[in-house]
Amino acid sequence: MQTLLDLWAAHSSTVAFAMVNALMALSTYAVLSTGVLSFTTVVFAAVGGFLSAQLVAKLGMPLAIAFPLAAVGGGLAAAMVAGAFLKLETHWMALASLALVLITRVVALNAPVLTGGVNGLVIPRRVSLGELTVVLVLVALVFYRLSRSWYGLAARAVREDPAVASTMGISPYRVQFIAFLISGVVGGLAGAALAFTLQFISPETYFIGIAFTMIASTVLGGSFHWFGSIIGAAIFTALPVAMQAVVPAFEDVAKGIALLVIMIFLPRGLIDPRAAGLRRAARARIAAESNNA
Amino acid sequence: MQLFLEQTINGVALGSLYALFGIGFGLVFATLGILNAAHGTYASWAAIVAYYALDWYGAPFPVAAAAGVIAGGTIAVVVDQIAFQPLRNRGTGLLGALITSIAFWIILDSLAGQATEHQALAFPATSYPTRMLELGAMRVPIMQVIVITSLVVCATGIYLLIQKTLVGAAMRAVGWNSVAAALGGVNSRIVILLTAFLAGATSGLAGVLAGVTTSNVSFTLGEGLMLKGFAAVVVGGFEDVRGTAVAGIMLGVIEVSAAQYLSTSFRDGITYTLLLLFLMLRPRGLFGSTNFLRA
Amino acid sequence: MRDSRTILAVQGVVKLFGGIAAVDGLTTEVRQGSVHGLIGPNGAGKTTMINLITGLFHPSEGAIHFDGKSLEAKAPQDIAALGIARTYQNVRLFSGMTALEQVMTGCYLSRGTSLFASFLGTPAARRRWSESEERARGLLRRVGLTERDGALAETLSYGEQRRIEIARALGSSPKLLLLDEPTAGMNHAEATEIGRLVHELRDGGLTVLMVEHNMGLVTEFCDDCTVMNFGRLLARGNPQSCIADPAVQEAYFGRKQDADRIQALR
Repeated sequence: MQTLLDLWAAHSSTVAFAMVNALMALSTYAVLSTGVLSFTTVVFAAVGGFLSAQLVAKLGMPLAIAFPLAAVGGGLAAAMVAGAFLKLETHWMALASLALVLITRVVALNAPVLTGGVNGLVIPRRVSLGELTVVLVLVALVFYRLSRSWYGLAARAVREDPAVASTMGISPYRVQFIAFLISGVVGGLAGAALAFTLQFISPETYFIGIAFTMIASTVLGGSFHWFGSIIGAAIFTALPVAMQAVVPAFEDVAKGIALLVIMIFLPRGLIDPRAAGLRRAARARIAAESNNA
Repeated sequence: MQLFLEQTINGVALGSLYALFGIGFGLVFATLGILNAAHGTYASWAAIVAYYALDWYGAPFPVAAAAGVIAGGTIAVVVDQIAFQPLRNRGTGLLGALITSIAFWIILDSLAGQATEHQALAFPATSYPTRMLELGAMRVPIMQVIVITSLVVCATGIYLLIQKTLVGAAMRAVGWNSVAAALGGVNSRIVILLTAFLAGATSGLAGVLAGVTTSNVSFTLGEGLMLKGFAAVVVGGFEDVRGTAVAGIMLGVIEVSAAQYLSTSFRDGITYTLLLLFLMLRPRGLFGSTNFLRA
Repeated sequence: MRDSRTILAVQGVVKLFGGIAAVDGLTTEVRQGSVHGLIGPNGAGKTTMINLITGLFHPSEGAIHFDGKSLEAKAPQDIAALGIARTYQNVRLFSGMTALEQVMTGCYLSRGTSLFASFLGTPAARRRWSESEERARGLLRRVGLTERDGALAETLSYGEQRRIEIARALGSSPKLLLLDEPTAGMNHAEATEIGRLVHELRDGGLTVLMVEHNMGLVTEFCDDCTVMNFGRLLARGNPQSCIADPAVQEAYFGRKQDADRIQALR
């Protein structure tokens, strides 16, 4: 028992980061699952992170209020982004979202009152593992409910074939707008979670590095199911830590190689509902053939 | 007046770096249809190879630079074949290629950090030309002249290659529809390899020159170039090398002029805002054509 | 007595792609409660016309009215909400979905509950979902599919996929069903089955507009037809008179004098 507790203590910060990354990945998954490739999770996280940090530091708010407000902030930012970007064609939108990430850093660097400018903000409080777990479970529950609802079905249709979906009465614009709102709310939470786990944030925190790794987590874990985002984030966070014990110099390289291997051999990621369906069909075919033989 | 002219030349030189990188990046996007997140690392690595060629072997500057350029091209080919070729065979789209390029960005960036031991290395002052050219009343560092000349030569050369030669026609054909191109007798494989090498070499050249002129050979070199080069490609127009060149110079001049009045990050903000505005309002850029269709 | 009210009116519709007129001034009407064949050689503009009706494209000139309402500048989802559903020439089912899920997406318009309530999982929403599921299963039986509900649609045979697509289109209880070459690639028995299903649907009050190549099927199953060529109207009316029309004969079989000339060369 003691060894388990020791193990837990040694790795609790890794678990915390894995959960934060899972929230980031889920925020990206929210829009990716409707066919939108967007890096804007980072922007929503920045809004949520700086907002919550200031609310706690300047107004002494408890985390239980600061976090939901961070989510609201993220959601509002998402509404604005969706309004501006959803008219763009897929590829241009992806690039525009990247440009927005770049601009966000510039804005953050030049608003020291809000963000501490170049020096960033030190955050004296830390969100506990238990609190993070609650947040992640709630968010996971939301995604579970979404996947079993009419929204989930509509989202899958829009992702696979928006033109066909529209002739069935499903509005791709409406579905993707809702997706952006979800992405914003979850992203805001993720940003707050990151701020209160790292205990230091600066404009560099919410930048391209995170943007790329969070989308990589989503795809590696499986971009066709929400649980994949959690798995992908866990792997992406745990892998460097595991490598540290084996070959310290290559922790980051290991992430890149893992991602590369998955993209080449399992491009739909680790968790893929369709693969299960294909296997079942293949088994049925083999059974039918052996019956006929 | 003299100061103004010298500042303008500074801007043009800086912009030439952006343009040079952008040409390489744009080649991959326009002809191969790939948004390559790893492209910046080619520039970083080219600078690193050039640095070590100088440091370990005492190679003269042109040789070291050439080594860097070749390294950039080679890495680009390797990445293309390992990361993108399997995807091509499968017909995967933009997202797949992007994620795979992110994988390589992680790998190459991390390795670059180790190669430089996470420091910013500087080319020793004796290793590259440092004379000042006297042009009328102005004094211009000869490196700036080299940078600007490189851009002009490369931009012209690549433009002529793409527009006026059979190889260039093959590149455009493959970029548009590689199956049709193959049916027409184009060896897609070779064309792709050639395009990748050229793109990597051009951006590698930008990396080497940037490393010299900014005294900063590190794994962050590529990222800076990439963002500005990417902006140059979008603002100038994806298809046309000349557009990238003009836009890159324009961005460099704007940046240097703005430096008088604004902080560094604000200057960057201007570039990124222009980038965003063009993406939203005029994706084809200043010089691109309206039938630009990347599936 | 069949209702002779017009449910779909196409007036002078032109669709230009660059310099090419895929549809070049087509005027025709579809009677409510009829099976109407849209026929013509390849490239005549039939699928473009279907795309114009469903709102994927908009006419360069002319107007389309459905159920008395203009379809001008309406988005596809709004046109679908008016009661128009379609299938596709090359089956376009959603990848990764089972047969049941495909038909369920078709039931989106008739889901009877808000997206939010469905997300919350309120008892009323759950009831509506079960009802939609039952309807979806019923539609799969109707098109002749049993024991396929849980199978990934993309693993099923071509004929089964076509039928799933029809079931999906019926999910929204449409007033007008557009079928784009529903019997392509089928043998005679299967095609007859489809024709029989179409008649059943018509007898239940649905109007069906079907793009069809097979003249035999057209004469067997269509009440009216519109013949197109090069984007223009060649003939309208009941199938027999259309086929007998000399312009239609020429479009399909060539001019008699050319045939005679070729014969004379032998």
